[in-house]
Amino acid sequence: MIAQLTERPVGRVYATVRDRLGRTPYWSRVVVSLVAIGVAVIFWNDDYVTAVAVSVATYAMLGLGLNIVVGYAGLLDLGYAAFFAIGAYTSALLMTQAHWNFFTTLPFAVLFTGTAGAILGYPTLRLRSDYLAIVTLGFGEMTRITFNNWEYAGGPNGVLGIPWPNFFGYELNTQADFFIVGLFLLAIAMIFAEHLDHSRLGRGWVAIREDEFAAESVGVPSLRLKLFAYVMGGMWGGLAGAFFATRIGAIDPTSFTFQLSVLILIVIVLGGTGSLPGVLLGALVVVALPELLRELSDVRLLVFAILLVGMMLLRPQGLWPRIRRKPKPFYGLQEEEPEDVAARILREHQVQMEERDRRHAAAGHKVPAAGEILLEVDGLVQQFGGLRAVDNVSFSVRRGEIFSIIGPNGGGKTTLFNCITGVQRPKRGRVLFDGRSIVGLRPHVIVSRGIGRTFQGIRLFKNMAVFENVMVGLYPRHRTMTWQAMLHTPGERKDELRTLQESRRWLSFVGLESMAGQLASQLSYADQRRVEIARALAAHPHLVLFDEPAAGMNPTEKLELVGIIRKIRDLGITVVLIEHDMSLVMRVSGRIAVLDHGILIALGKPAEIQNDPAVIEAYLGREDDDMGRLTAQEA
Amino acid sequence: MGDFLQYTVIGLTVGSFYALVALGYTIVYGIIRLINFAQGDLSMVGAFLGWTLLVSFGFEHLPIYLALVIAFVVPMIGTAVVNLGILQFAYKPLLRRSLLAILITALGMSLLLQNSAELIWGAAIEAYPPNLLPSSGFFVGPVHVTYVQIALVVASLLLMGGLVAFIQGTTIGTAMRALAVDHDAARLMGINVDAVIRIAFVLGAMLAAASGVMLGIYYVQIHFTMGFLLGLRAFTAAVLGGIGNIPGAMAGGMLIGLLEAYTTGYLSGTWEDVVVFGVLITVLIVKPTGLFGERVAERM
Repeated sequence: MIAQLTERPVGRVYATVRDRLGRTPYWSRVVVSLVAIGVAVIFWNDDYVTAVAVSVATYAMLGLGLNIVVGYAGLLDLGYAAFFAIGAYTSALLMTQAHWNFFTTLPFAVLFTGTAGAILGYPTLRLRSDYLAIVTLGFGEMTRITFNNWEYAGGPNGVLGIPWPNFFGYELNTQADFFIVGLFLLAIAMIFAEHLDHSRLGRGWVAIREDEFAAESVGVPSLRLKLFAYVMGGMWGGLAGAFFATRIGAIDPTSFTFQLSVLILIVIVLGGTGSLPGVLLGALVVVALPELLRELSDVRLLVFAILLVGMMLLRPQGLWPRIRRKPKPFYGLQEEEPEDVAARILREHQVQMEERDRRHAAAGHKVPAAGEILLEVDGLVQQFGGLRAVDNVSFSVRRGEIFSIIGPNGGGKTTLFNCITGVQRPKRGRVLFDGRSIVGLRPHVIVSRGIGRTFQGIRLFKNMAVFENVMVGLYPRHRTMTWQAMLHTPGERKDELRTLQESRRWLSFVGLESMAGQLASQLSYADQRRVEIARALAAHPHLVLFDEPAAGMNPTEKLELVGIIRKIRDLGITVVLIEHDMSLVMRVSGRIAVLDHGILIALGKPAEIQNDPAVIEAYLGREDDDMGRLTAQEA
Repeated sequence: MGDFLQYTVIGLTVGSFYALVALGYTIVYGIIRLINFAQGDLSMVGAFLGWTLLVSFGFEHLPIYLALVIAFVVPMIGTAVVNLGILQFAYKPLLRRSLLAILITALGMSLLLQNSAELIWGAAIEAYPPNLLPSSGFFVGPVHVTYVQIALVVASLLLMGGLVAFIQGTTIGTAMRALAVDHDAARLMGINVDAVIRIAFVLGAMLAAASGVMLGIYYVQIHFTMGFLLGLRAFTAAVLGGIGNIPGAMAGGMLIGLLEAYTTGYLSGTWEDVVVFGVLITVLIVKPTGLFGERVAERM
């Protein structure tokens, strides 16, 4: 749609204006728009309008919180009202029982809801998303019923007589006062949310939504990110709850029903999941529409239901969908000469490696020198039901070599990779990396230990740009904290720029710099494989595992791949390769292991493997087997 | 001890209603991985259709067996039609889309059913004819068992038995089981996938409607919001037993019924849902595949 607009003169003006606006900091745009809205509403000077506006602000705040959970992290939460309730009750009880000031209760409302989010989230976030929806729904109902049964909190009557907030001696008691406070909180929520969305966390969330397994395998701590979204969302709900309590003056459990949770969900779905202006618009529609259609209030929910279903069918992206601007990769970055890039990568990688080795040695571990054992697999067994996919396999990979694993299909090669990278837990056996056991660690931890990987079936984040894919691979190397991301501090900006720069270098390393701005799904098969390689390299691994990198490549592309693999080795990175293309394997490998039916049948230099009778038998069958002789002749 | 047995009798009766609705969830989920949130509300629709026939149309005055057959069969057919409509208009276009879109649509359908029912039948509580079945009973030791309870439990057991026989013994049932494992493979084997999905929706709706009418007969009072909690508990039952697992759904339903009866008996009715959801969350954390194991593969 945007593309169509730019064809026309009006569209061009619009595009220019949007571009200009796009360059002003986000916070200034939020402040200007919200101040404009605030001034307009206050000058309207109608108590009824202002009251509706306060409700819109409350729903928008709730929507922004839930948007972090649903829109960013992609977790369906059907019990969001619980956080609203906990925040409201915390603040209300502290104000009525302990006679605290409203503003002093806020940190506690936020703290309590955040804690509640963590307590519920930690054990349940591992569940599948549809189960999670039910668990959150149950949590919402449990919370409401608990308040309903809790005498101290007034039982079904709730908490009455909640005082107005007092701001340094000034009592806030008009709708206009509340509107200003509401807008203020809303502004903060929007700015924080936008900053998070554009930080490494936002990128991590998109990656998790696209392919959680792949995200975890390239170093994104998926559980922690999901938990964080959950806690963050809960905290906003708590804040909105406190605001709601003092404004209404009396709360009771009927204010926090499942219907409310659904309404908040409708706010964000209607507006456009993940879109901040969409949340505001959604809140406006959900609150103001029934006010406009007062006589229809009987069928309000019916209208909503139809709207909701119709929306999902006809305009699933929402009223004001999140616009994904065509990413401009490397905007504002300095150009670098190709030779310069290679040199920088090498230098940066060496710095990384030395730093890592130093830390490793300081922790009292032995650092393998080049040619010494880096990865040791010892007696590894993996079993699926009666099938032994990997049967007592032992081998070791030396630092700096290119080691290939070959064997007929179903030989257990990918299972072996999965056991090493923590995707599966082996039944028995040890995997030592750098002399330390890595069995039982989560995949993202293993990535941060220094093992990168690619996948047999390409698992890129298809709807992210190529350079963003590589930036996700850089996740473990960020040095900034979450609060810095939320505030978009200069340090965080520098960190982002550095990440961008590095992703560009890695893309140029695999020869794809010109493709950086394309969506990953638009690339050819061979190029997608190269992006996966760049993504795996981005974290500066010690060891990379490539699962059939040449599959689907033509001879020229394979030749380039050989060059890339050698370049990787020249950086000092150890390469383990699963590959079916024998000429490629024989050309690059230092040593080769052969797996057949889960058993390691041979291990040695390429020439030895080529002449090993057991290997020939595994590939071609036995001499007395007619089929075997036939294939042998053809070959 | 007497109390305990009495609560057990009540729990098993209520549990058999939950089991019926839970089966609907499990069948539909097993085949298209959709939590049909409207399942509980279909029960409510069934209950109201039965009420309309019995009370508004006066069929309660017919001979009891005839009245019961009509009060069960017609709502089961009517609700099946409603569910097919939902499938066709709301879910079908979304089946290949994100989980979030389908779930939200399902929620929307649940709201739609509730509010349509409110529009049609009103917001007031309606009452089933209280003496449709003899309200008397007999004592087994200290435990009072009513004929209504026996009739309802036997009826739901018959329905469940029929379902199992259908799924295990017929060609369509075999096709359903194949679909639960792999859609594409099933399609390649010549199974009409859309038709099987429709059958799953019909079965789910019929079971839900039957449980709705039973609830009406047992509790007498019905209300347009009754489907929400019923659906929630039934879904809990399905997940508890391992979703997609048919015996699991039955056992899960009974378990939830018992849990509810014991909580009400020993603690207080107001804590029912806290206990039910507490148990659900605990089970999911300890054994995410449910007590009896899930019968579906994770969609990657």
